[in-house]
Amino acid sequence: MVVPLVNDDPMIDNETEDSVEVPSDSDSEEDVKLAEPSKTAVNNREAILDKLGDISWPENVDWKHKLSIDIDQEQEVDVNDDLARELSFYTQALEGTRQAFEKLESMGLPFLRPADYYAEMVKADSHMEKVKSRLLEEKRKMEEADERRKAREAKRLSKEIQSQKLKERAKQKKEDIESVKKWRKQRQQSGFADGGDGPDKALGFEDGKVFERSKKKRPGVSPGDRSGGKAKQAFGKGSKMQKKRDTKNSKFGFGGRKGSKKQNTADTTNDFGGFSKGAGAGNKKRKR
Amino acid sequence: MGKKRKRSEKAGAAAVPKKDDVAPERPVRTLLGWKNKNEDENDKEVEVKDNGSSPIFRNKEKVLVTCSRRIVFRYRHLMLNIVSLLPHCKKDNKVESKETKGATLNELVELKNCSSCLFFECRKAKDLYLWMSKCPNGPSVKFLVSAVHTMEELKLTGNHLKGSRPLLTFSSNFEKDAHWKLLKEMLLQIFETPKDHRKAKPFHDHVFVFSIVDDHIWFRNYQISVPHNESDKLPRGGLDKMTLIEVGPRFCLNPIKIFGGSFGGPTLYENPFYVSPNQIRALQKKKKAGTFAKKVKAKTRRKRHEMANPLEPDEFADMWKD
Repeated sequence: MVVPLVNDDPMIDNETEDSVEVPSDSDSEEDVKLAEPSKTAVNNREAILDKLGDISWPENVDWKHKLSIDIDQEQEVDVNDDLARELSFYTQALEGTRQAFEKLESMGLPFLRPADYYAEMVKADSHMEKVKSRLLEEKRKMEEADERRKAREAKRLSKEIQSQKLKERAKQKKEDIESVKKWRKQRQQSGFADGGDGPDKALGFEDGKVFERSKKKRPGVSPGDRSGGKAKQAFGKGSKMQKKRDTKNSKFGFGGRKGSKKQNTADTTNDFGGFSKGAGAGNKKRKR
Repeated sequence: MGKKRKRSEKAGAAAVPKKDDVAPERPVRTLLGWKNKNEDENDKEVEVKDNGSSPIFRNKEKVLVTCSRRIVFRYRHLMLNIVSLLPHCKKDNKVESKETKGATLNELVELKNCSSCLFFECRKAKDLYLWMSKCPNGPSVKFLVSAVHTMEELKLTGNHLKGSRPLLTFSSNFEKDAHWKLLKEMLLQIFETPKDHRKAKPFHDHVFVFSIVDDHIWFRNYQISVPHNESDKLPRGGLDKMTLIEVGPRFCLNPIKIFGGSFGGPTLYENPFYVSPNQIRALQKKKKAGTFAKKVKAKTRRKRHEMANPLEPDEFADMWKD
């Protein structure tokens, strides 16, 4: 079966975005039923069939007067499942139309509208314009959302690539250094076989102290500072600050969960003998 | 036209045995000359009852579509949609629904020369009832209409010719009971545009669905879109390429009662599962009203329970006190 992708069921998808109040097809309010059939209900089958005989068209009436097709419903449809229900109606219509068209075709009368047959339609052009603009709008929205998603993805990907690159570079550097070290060791072991102090001796970074700080004095360091500006800044007043910090931490808590201090435990709940509104109030668990 | 038919009907009913020798002798005068035999035969009911031979059947159905006063716009639009779908209908002014509607509506239908009627009755600006009736002598059905969507909704994107004759599809469970059969026949007669109706267009580009799900009749209207070049033949594989686009309106009919006459008469069928929307609302209100009472009750119960089972004093209460 071919189901049109766009118009499959225009009522069901994105029902939520519609701000206009539309009663759902399966209103729970509507579906209230008596649990069991009421006993007093009338159902006079003979009279109904009699009436049916009165009003019905003659048996042998031509099909082209009726244009009606009966379609088997394969299985019971759940009313509250909107999609399944609509699909069953759709398939019924489609199947019926196929059968009807076969019949019409066999009759040999024109039944399909020629392309150049213009006539009044059920919905006016202005209305169809609205429908079209809405469809376009929907399409545009979808495309925009798609683009946004793509951009987001690309950003994430580029970030990943960047970090990968950095990692790669660091690794490369490490490897290089490692290889040079190795090479030096080998050379040392072989007893500088290839001729004493070559040009490579001059390279500063090969003496194994690559990561040490240079002993050079930093600019802008006071002459009294014997560490040459390498000691921790504000060492002197730091101790005082630290003390304050520590007391604050002990008072307000730093690290660990705060929630657990405020929760009741077995003994706090059991302990309502000593409950008083006065001085005793406060957290028992807090360190004093 | 209707007057004419009525007279011939009466004549047929009164003089069934005599008809064969009387009818040719007394040709009836019409506006355009003598009423000839061929036209006489067209009158379906008379001929079929009289001699059972196969006359030329002609569907002369005319439907009066009207509604009660104070109808809500949504339901009015639904009615207008149906008017636009049925080229063989006549729309009439709103009718006061409180009036003894059987008599007035029947009179109205007769006045308009119609043979059936769709009457949209809106109550409490909430509930829509649809009366569907075959007019001179019944039957008539009263439905509760729910799940209404009109054609104006922008999500229904199809469109079709105004006045093209619809194909009708019925689900097979219309055959399972007598009242469904009757309803099917009524739906067929009311919703099918008569062949060669002067407002009807000769092509078929939409299909109606009447399906019984959960003892409700669901109505859908689809546009048939199929690629084709000629008007009398489908291209190869055209049936597989056919798609349907919904045009609307949508509604769901819950049959309440079937009456023997038109807008009245003996009840032939009553929906045993039917609960009126008024009752449903009353029930909901009652449920809502119960919540406060329940709360108060629960509170007093709790109080009583606490009084009955006082807490024993804790002997270890002061143990760790310093």
